[in-house]
Amino acid sequence: MIFFVLLLILVLIAQIAEFFIPALPWLYNAHIYIVPVIVFYGAVALPFPLMLALALYAGILLDALTVQVIDTKVEISLGWSILLYAVLAGIMHGLRPLFIRGRWEVHCIMTGICTSLILLAQYLMITFRRGSVYFSPEVWWQIGGPGLIAMVLAPIAFWFLQWMGRITAFPYLPERDRFE
Amino acid sequence: MNRSSIIALLIFGAILGYFLSFGADGTRKFQAGVYQLIAPFLTSGSGLQKQITSVRTGLKSLEELERESSELQVENRQLRATNQALRDVEREVNRLRHALNYRERSVFKLVPAVVVARDSSTWWRTITINRGKEDGVEGDMPVVTDEGLVGKTTTVSASISVVLLISDENCRVAASVEGTREQGIVGGERVTTGVTPILDLNFLSKQADLKPGQKVYTTGVGGVFPSGLLVGTVKSFRVRELDSQGQLVPGVDLSHLEDVFVVTGRK
Repeated sequence: MIFFVLLLILVLIAQIAEFFIPALPWLYNAHIYIVPVIVFYGAVALPFPLMLALALYAGILLDALTVQVIDTKVEISLGWSILLYAVLAGIMHGLRPLFIRGRWEVHCIMTGICTSLILLAQYLMITFRRGSVYFSPEVWWQIGGPGLIAMVLAPIAFWFLQWMGRITAFPYLPERDRFE
Repeated sequence: MNRSSIIALLIFGAILGYFLSFGADGTRKFQAGVYQLIAPFLTSGSGLQKQITSVRTGLKSLEELERESSELQVENRQLRATNQALRDVEREVNRLRHALNYRERSVFKLVPAVVVARDSSTWWRTITINRGKEDGVEGDMPVVTDEGLVGKTTTVSASISVVLLISDENCRVAASVEGTREQGIVGGERVTTGVTPILDLNFLSKQADLKPGQKVYTTGVGGVFPSGLLVGTVKSFRVRELDSQGQLVPGVDLSHLEDVFVVTGRK
């Protein structure tokens, strides 16, 4: 439980830190997203109910701090990010047996893909609301770029979170012994 | 799926349904609440970021000093570092004096604010400022600098506000072109790639003939933005099938905003 609380705190810190991390001009102004990496690690490390709770928490934070209400129009309704996080985290949770066997690389790649999928879903919702379909190489880079960055960040973040799980004696991790 | 997972899923579904039922007002209130909760972190984070940037600048100047004159003595380097620090202070004083002058000569009631955070999202162009309802700031108030229009407030909490920049596609401003009778709507682009965003001036007449360098000002139509504020300068112009469109460079350097003013009314 301590580990779960630590993950919640880390998600909050990461969400606030994202305000201070500038976009990368050399990657078509792609942003660096740390929260999805933590959430998708939580998806494979936590039991199903706690995974849902983490997705709920991260989704609420994402919606509350980024979604814009323009006049009386909400472009992405509060709650959509929760659903996105929950569905994608659910897919990651389904790959948990691989994670327990120590096959982290699949989850690192999946973290990148899922990060980009969140952005793609947001962009599609915005496009639908604003009423004009517009895709250009820059759009694809702004969707794919953060995914690539998340993929690079994932091994370091996963290693750190795994270490944190071990020192807090998180009971859900030692299952690994059964597979070795 | 075991029993606890099913219960968790049901609770999750209920909470999700609750949030999805929020309207625009509910969302805005909820966002204001969350922003108010994290306001101390954003404000202190902004201060920390400035300190880190300042240290980095200091290190750079020391590196340059070492490279350029290796025979300089320690005392000399200390003096140069002190000079650098004083120059930073001087720049800060000049900046604040400039801002204060603008506030005094402006015809508007202005609430000065400091930018504490920039947009953390890919699809919206926003900044967060350290002024809120306690300072008289409300939603849909124009935000300016002495150089021109910055945007308008959207979510406002007690001590912190979110400003939608004019470079956002959703921020529409009625504008007119200097020296012509042409009027149009300025809006940002959905995706920006460069450091300096480009604004589109749409719905101009087909007969419009804009020249690069012409200035574009707000007209005051729409009720949010007062007239006469500089929006940007014409960069390029093209005639389309039904109308014509100008591309503008914003009058304000939106990527390096530090101090802004919220227009709360007229003096």
